[in-house]
Amino acid sequence: MLKKRLPISVLLAIAWLALLLFFALFGPYLPIPDTLYSFEDSLAVGVFSPGHLLGTDSYGYDMFAQLVEGSRYSLLIAGVSVITGSLVGSVCGILAAFKRGIFDRITNALFSVVLSIPNLLLSITLIAIFATSPDSSNPVPPSRRLIVVIASLTIVIIPIIGRIARSTALSWSSRDFVTAARSMGMTDRQIIVRHIVPNVLPALLAIAFLAIGLVIVAEGSLSLLGAGIGEKTTWGSMIARGRAEIEYYPHILFVPIVAVALTVIACNRLGDEVRRTLDPREARL
Amino acid sequence: MNDVLSIKDLSVEFDTVRGSLKAVKDVTVHVGYGESVGIVGESGSGKSVLSRAAMGILLGRNVHRTGEVVFDGNDLSNLTPQALRAFWGTGMAMIFQDPMTALNPVRRIGAQISEALRIRLGMSKSDAMTKSAELLRLVRVPDAEATLKKFPFQLSGGMRQRVMIAIALACDPKLLFADEPTTALDVTIQAQILELLDDLRKSLNMSMVLVTHDLGVIAGHTDRVVVMYAGEVVESASTVDLFANMKMPYTEALFKSIPNLDTPTGTRLPTIEGRVPDPTQTQEGCLFASRCAYVQEKCHNEHPPLISDGNDHLYRCWFPIQVRSPK
Repeated sequence: MLKKRLPISVLLAIAWLALLLFFALFGPYLPIPDTLYSFEDSLAVGVFSPGHLLGTDSYGYDMFAQLVEGSRYSLLIAGVSVITGSLVGSVCGILAAFKRGIFDRITNALFSVVLSIPNLLLSITLIAIFATSPDSSNPVPPSRRLIVVIASLTIVIIPIIGRIARSTALSWSSRDFVTAARSMGMTDRQIIVRHIVPNVLPALLAIAFLAIGLVIVAEGSLSLLGAGIGEKTTWGSMIARGRAEIEYYPHILFVPIVAVALTVIACNRLGDEVRRTLDPREARL
Repeated sequence: MNDVLSIKDLSVEFDTVRGSLKAVKDVTVHVGYGESVGIVGESGSGKSVLSRAAMGILLGRNVHRTGEVVFDGNDLSNLTPQALRAFWGTGMAMIFQDPMTALNPVRRIGAQISEALRIRLGMSKSDAMTKSAELLRLVRVPDAEATLKKFPFQLSGGMRQRVMIAIALACDPKLLFADEPTTALDVTIQAQILELLDDLRKSLNMSMVLVTHDLGVIAGHTDRVVVMYAGEVVESASTVDLFANMKMPYTEALFKSIPNLDTPTGTRLPTIEGRVPDPTQTQEGCLFASRCAYVQEKCHNEHPPLISDGNDHLYRCWFPIQVRSPK
């Protein structure tokens, strides 16, 4: 059998995501300036300035340091919400498709309700309810704010994954091999685990990778509107600060935007490759 | 009784949006130990539903089954699908029409054959694999060990059907339902598969229900035949008797539709005009009346009962063949 070599685009995607993961995990230990240390003698210098690889913003904060801290929180938010959202969504979707009946109807109705509310509105509402304090001298702790942001994005992810899990599982569960497995005396659970999940998984993984990009962008939108995690820097909050000065210092905006764009592209490319590798019909061609 | 399967007055009804649909009506069929029984009929005659209902695999919210099913001395009539599961695979097994869709496309052949062995018989992984290779050799798949590692798409239709048979035989069933096992295959492979099923049935001392629309398939491979039309049994006899002595015009019409090598080239193949009656509508008289070449006044008004000729040959016709000539 031929050993397949990964295409260069996939290698680049993996390299980029690995670099981000390294930043996210070891950012605090890297020899880079504090994100809140103002270099007053070099305000808003451009990229590749001496001492500041990606320049500084108009407060003199180092952009590279911000990007590293941003990758920590952006990836944390995206990773946790996509993983939990995908798990809950696919379990509900697959069970709904397989069991049919009332459980299917309720699940499907819930998915539709959540999907019908604009994502951003839903997240902002949840954050407003659970993570704001009327008393400005007694603000909500940042950890709670982070959890609510993650939870609100998870709720957005669940029906997106759930819908696809349900429709894919629905088409697979009416196949003859499911009837054949049943006629051999396998229980519903064994059929789901052994026959439905392996068929549904490639599509779900591809969508989950897409969802990572979606969540990074969604978190950016929240930060832009002031409903982000607040205290710590995320790519979204960098974009929010940078957009005011696009006319004078465009690099402040472009650095986080390029990071988001590269990450979304890398996730999509990797998701595509994962689906192709998992599907034996395509993997062997 | 010497029957591995005894079905008595079995009816199957589906709830559909257009109302209740009676797919099988009061069917009585017996399958003896070691016997091979053919069920013939055109599309929509209820033959596949009958075999699935006998096994119980299609039972669900929208499917109702009445009547009696006794398998190997166990009354299965009122068992839930959960309780029936104990008989599936180990007692009764089924092979399906389309080997392209009846295997899971993303799992290796070895995993698919061995899973029943592991789940139903509690074999270890390596024992199950060894047994799987044996099963593949039993169904005459060349290079069994290599095939275990392959995916379904790497096999031809005939090979996949052999794999299907290997899976069905995995837990040593007493009765095998073969639901149009050769319909999706080309003619030379059809003959091989049917011969294989025959040999296996004899060597493993198994009974078989062969469901098909092709009387040609029935001819050399069954002991008895049940002809179904619109959910009813319309004729039932030993295979030899049926071909020698057809009573029901429908059976004759099916027989005439088989291409014959002796007819001159260019002759039109006879077909049965019209179509199977809409199962959601009730109909007076004989259900075949509108398509029958010998139809008479009585046929439109009175539903014929299943009549016996005293020789275990049953037929559902007011004017059986050989009593009169075509009009």
